[in-house]
Amino acid sequence: MPKQKLNPLPSAAFQILLALVGEDLHGYGIMRNVAEHTEDRMRLGPGTLYNSIRTLLEEKLIEEVESPRESVKNERRRYYHLTLAGRKLVRCEAERLAGLLRVARSKNVLRDYV
Amino acid sequence: MSEAIFRLLLHLYPSRFRQEYADEALQLFRDRARHESGVWPSVRLWIDLLTDTAISLPREYCYTRSHVAGASAQGCLDGVPTFFVFDTVSPGRRPLLLGGLLSLITLVSFPKLMNEFGNFRPPTDLTFAPSGAYEKQREEAWRRVSQREQSVGPAQPGSSSTFDGAARQRIIKNAIASIRQHHLDRNEAQEAADALLAHERRGDDDAATSTDEFASLLTRQMREATGSNELVLLYTKNDIPERTPGPEPPLPAAYRDDMQRLNCTFERVEILPHKIGYLKLNAFPDTSVCRPTATAAMAKLNDADALIFDLRDNRGGFPSMVSLLAAYLFDHPEYMYCPLENTTAESWTRSPVPGNKLADKPVYILTSSRTISAAEQFSYNLKMLKRGTLVGETTAGGGHAANLHDIGDHFYVGTIEVNAINPYGKSDWNDTGIEPDFKVKAPDALNAALGLIDKRLHVEQSHSLTTP
Repeated sequence: MPKQKLNPLPSAAFQILLALVGEDLHGYGIMRNVAEHTEDRMRLGPGTLYNSIRTLLEEKLIEEVESPRESVKNERRRYYHLTLAGRKLVRCEAERLAGLLRVARSKNVLRDYV
Repeated sequence: MSEAIFRLLLHLYPSRFRQEYADEALQLFRDRARHESGVWPSVRLWIDLLTDTAISLPREYCYTRSHVAGASAQGCLDGVPTFFVFDTVSPGRRPLLLGGLLSLITLVSFPKLMNEFGNFRPPTDLTFAPSGAYEKQREEAWRRVSQREQSVGPAQPGSSSTFDGAARQRIIKNAIASIRQHHLDRNEAQEAADALLAHERRGDDDAATSTDEFASLLTRQMREATGSNELVLLYTKNDIPERTPGPEPPLPAAYRDDMQRLNCTFERVEILPHKIGYLKLNAFPDTSVCRPTATAAMAKLNDADALIFDLRDNRGGFPSMVSLLAAYLFDHPEYMYCPLENTTAESWTRSPVPGNKLADKPVYILTSSRTISAAEQFSYNLKMLKRGTLVGETTAGGGHAANLHDIGDHFYVGTIEVNAINPYGKSDWNDTGIEPDFKVKAPDALNAALGLIDKRLHVEQSHSLTTP
């Protein structure tokens, strides 16, 4: 069932994986990161966010880790870390999108500055 | 405050989700609320939350369901009904109790509501007619006996109570005295009395071991001797008040209200294609209340080439309305036989009705096994006068009523005390019902009548064309 959910990879799941590239984040951190990357066009709500996180956890694309900062270890927040499989998947998806971008460029459907 | 609302919102999610992520979701909400202060950011926050809830809730329940179904599937037995719940936690005692209570209330109130709003047919107890009319006698006597009381003589052979020989003798003696005193037909009264005494002497009554059987047996003896079914002996454990002579009691206000609400039971008054007048009438209401409605209905049908009276749901009423409607179907006064009223000047219709054009138009009457009482009087008279064609089922056969007289020991004798002249013979429709001219199932009666009318009008039309 989860595999079917990620094939094709939903936009929210891809954005979460992308947010976790380079740093471990908690839920709100992921949400903020996604909002910044998408210029506020995607603001993940709790339902969508944690539903996606659970799916990614089940697929072992991300994993829970302890707080990376000593000062916030006592906080009851869960941090998430991108696994190797997750990293591969995010790269595959990025390449797929890049391929699409190339096609779009070749067909002159994009403006110059893209 | 807003956090409390969000907590409530979280309760919409399955418990599995709440257990895993409620704290996280709350933390996320707090973080956003802290960073997004101000009017517009707050509004945007709530728009986000509500949209997210609407989108993610179905997904969550689908997810939970697939897991629950998957987990339970192995425990299922072939052919055994299995119930799955969205939630993974069993409902507590309180929700179960509340759910049960709500189901019970719904179950009880649904038929009541259906009766109240879902059924336009007029209630069968519309006929609170004054004494002298059908229902006063019928409803007050028969219904009180046969509906309210459960231990009635001839109709209820189940009673097992026994009584001794002295009581039997006393009942027979009192029954004979009452019949002789009250029954209008003296010859019948004598025949019944003789028969009762003869059977008693022969010991025929010993066959009846209970009061109910005894009442049934004596009723049968009287009916065999007289050849009519007007006399009756009833047994009931409860008292039946004697009907007191005197002026007619006024119509109850509830009757007027009912009639107003139900358009005097004139359910449909229409001119169908080919100028066929159609009147669906579900009772024969009292003329003092419903005369304007009746005259308006007949005026609407005045230009019809044929008439259909749909009496399939008609539960009877007042002879005065029978005469009023029948008056439109004749060009001269016509006698309307009514078994419950003395024959008087009122027994004739007041025909011709000024301006009426229906006196020579073919009339079809639709009947069912529910058609009863005054509706049978209307149908019977028009059939016997060859003025109407009956299409449908044999009627209920509930014309006569008896006045009940208490003769002691919870026995009652029913006698006929009006002098109604039936010009068509001794028996009418009482108990037997009226046979239709064209027997079809009640639901098919309208189509059958339309077919007959079509044929008849067509024949008449071709006849008038060929006649020079």
